[in-house]
Amino acid sequence: MSVEEEIREHLSTRTPMLELSDIQATILRQRPAPYFGAHVLLRVDDARAGRKALARLTPHVASAAGWWNAKNAWLSVGISYAGLEAIGLPQDSLQSFPDAFRVGMAARARQLGDQGLNDPKHWDKTYGQGQAHIAVSAFSDSEEKRRRALEIAREQYDGLPGVSVVAKQDFGAQPGDLNPLGYKDGIDQPAVEGSGVDPLPAWGRPIKAGEFILGYPGEAGVPLPMPQPDILARNGTYVGLRKYQSRVGAFNRFLHANGRTEEERELLAAKLVGRWRSGAPLTLAPDVDNPALGADAHRNNVFDYSKDPRGRQAPLGCHIRRMNPRDTELTRLTDVNLHRLIRRGTTYGPPYDANALSEADDEVPRGAIFLFISAKAMATMEFLQQEWINDGDFIGVGNERDPIIGLQEDGAVFTIPREPVRRRVHGIETFNVLRGGEYFFMPSLTALKWLAGSDG
Amino acid sequence: MATQAQTLKKPEQDASTENRIQQLRALFADAPPVGKKALENALKELRSQASDLPPPIESAGRTGARLGKVSELTIIVPLAPGGAQRLRAFLKVLRGNLSQGANKVGTLHTMRFVFFDNDTRLLFATSYDGDWDTYIDDFVTKIPDYLDIIDSAWDGWPGIRDPGAKDYLAKHQITADGWYVAHPDLTVAEQARLMRIGKAVDEFLDKMNG
Repeated sequence: MSVEEEIREHLSTRTPMLELSDIQATILRQRPAPYFGAHVLLRVDDARAGRKALARLTPHVASAAGWWNAKNAWLSVGISYAGLEAIGLPQDSLQSFPDAFRVGMAARARQLGDQGLNDPKHWDKTYGQGQAHIAVSAFSDSEEKRRRALEIAREQYDGLPGVSVVAKQDFGAQPGDLNPLGYKDGIDQPAVEGSGVDPLPAWGRPIKAGEFILGYPGEAGVPLPMPQPDILARNGTYVGLRKYQSRVGAFNRFLHANGRTEEERELLAAKLVGRWRSGAPLTLAPDVDNPALGADAHRNNVFDYSKDPRGRQAPLGCHIRRMNPRDTELTRLTDVNLHRLIRRGTTYGPPYDANALSEADDEVPRGAIFLFISAKAMATMEFLQQEWINDGDFIGVGNERDPIIGLQEDGAVFTIPREPVRRRVHGIETFNVLRGGEYFFMPSLTALKWLAGSDG
Repeated sequence: MATQAQTLKKPEQDASTENRIQQLRALFADAPPVGKKALENALKELRSQASDLPPPIESAGRTGARLGKVSELTIIVPLAPGGAQRLRAFLKVLRGNLSQGANKVGTLHTMRFVFFDNDTRLLFATSYDGDWDTYIDDFVTKIPDYLDIIDSAWDGWPGIRDPGAKDYLAKHQITADGWYVAHPDLTVAEQARLMRIGKAVDEFLDKMNG
């Protein structure tokens, strides 16, 4: 069963609590399968022209009404702090945004642990320079629809003096929608309370909408702090965009150095993530892959770690156990529902190649651009980077880091718990290198109109 | 208060070390004779300690000092009317030992509660792992009642769910000028992990001998 079918089977009979027709679709709608899309980053040098581009784009931005139907292509729009400045948002409003958003992702490199290979000084030129003002993303389920959606977007800003394209990145179209390291991904997403769909078996307890959308109560029972005025903030959210390049050669060399046979390598690849490449979780398929399970949205996320407290199936330090520890006993008092992000992973470049083993293969432009969505995306990303990605103390694995998206230090290891003695795998490298990142505010449709219309 | 943490920087290089020592000697010139003599006795050793740069003390986020992974927090706060009695009675229920709750938090090395000035003020001091506000939101949803039982003894406490709670804490926190941790990289969780490993190694070696 596909995710869309699964969701449509669970449409709630109650009216959604959220104002879906005012919220951008991308916040709730998952990418289709297969998916085809693009991110376009615009720079605004003339405030009036920037507002005009927004005014023209807004009618084409999809709302989340009926977000479970993804038949047509859709557009989303985000605006960075530099972008809000560039379109002339008044000072008192600008100053009401959180500090981390205002200074931007590159300036928070220390808090995000973006050092060494991931240091902003190595990023693609487009990022971290205050150049990306408006981010337009198109999602669709076919090449043809992508082309048309992008054409519609282009007509809205093309020829406006003072608005220019600084980057365009196509994504998707990989066979089987696998990520650059060859895994099915994007399976586990937080369920948002009041979004019109009853909790799916795969979702676990829905999380209070205010954690993901501004203007609603969060997990603590009160709305999160909002920028001002209310019309700008309500039904909006923040998006952290991060562009990774996958070092596929290094990843394959690591698998070959630590696995003698295809079976050993696939098991090791599964241990790093906590799922087989098919998407089947180790917790439900501990010894051999089960592709049918991996493909079934009704079953592939329905599990907890109660039978695997030591990580003998899914290692404690594996990627999915870090990103959503579920019922794992953590070393610190943690509310795991406070640190979730909705994520829209968008893979670019050629598909995964199991035979790519050379260092030249590490330089092939292929990877993923992630949109991380939350009403406190900046704080959550800093928490995740510090605690759950680039450390292991929280889950009792010392200094080990996330084997997939962690920034590895020399001599890094990965522990695979086993009976009678654990296996420690050496030679873990940084398999996904950060090539850029920006924070965007993703306003409601009302706020987009308000921003576009504040002509002065 | 927040700016105090930012003044804690890596000690500067040797030239200023000698300046600091001269400053210290100048101040001790007016010290009582025992102090003055003691400084002269210790001066040679002190000079070599000062030039052998220790790992830098960093800021623990919003307020406080951090050495390696371990941070300090000192709060001095006026007590609300009846606050001392209430808080003392709460501590008495636990016989002054908060271990069950603190173990659950998992990042706390030590905590102390000291009433002074005739029960009108409280000194609360703790050493803990990580930065100041990393887990504050988790405390709000996981243990709000314990925080409000303790902190409602404090004058003007707005309640842990109040958006002003973090500001209140930061306002009453004083960053330490001196901060020592024997093992700056040993978090509470890492200590537990090493103890488990030590035990397992002993069992393994016993079996080898058996």
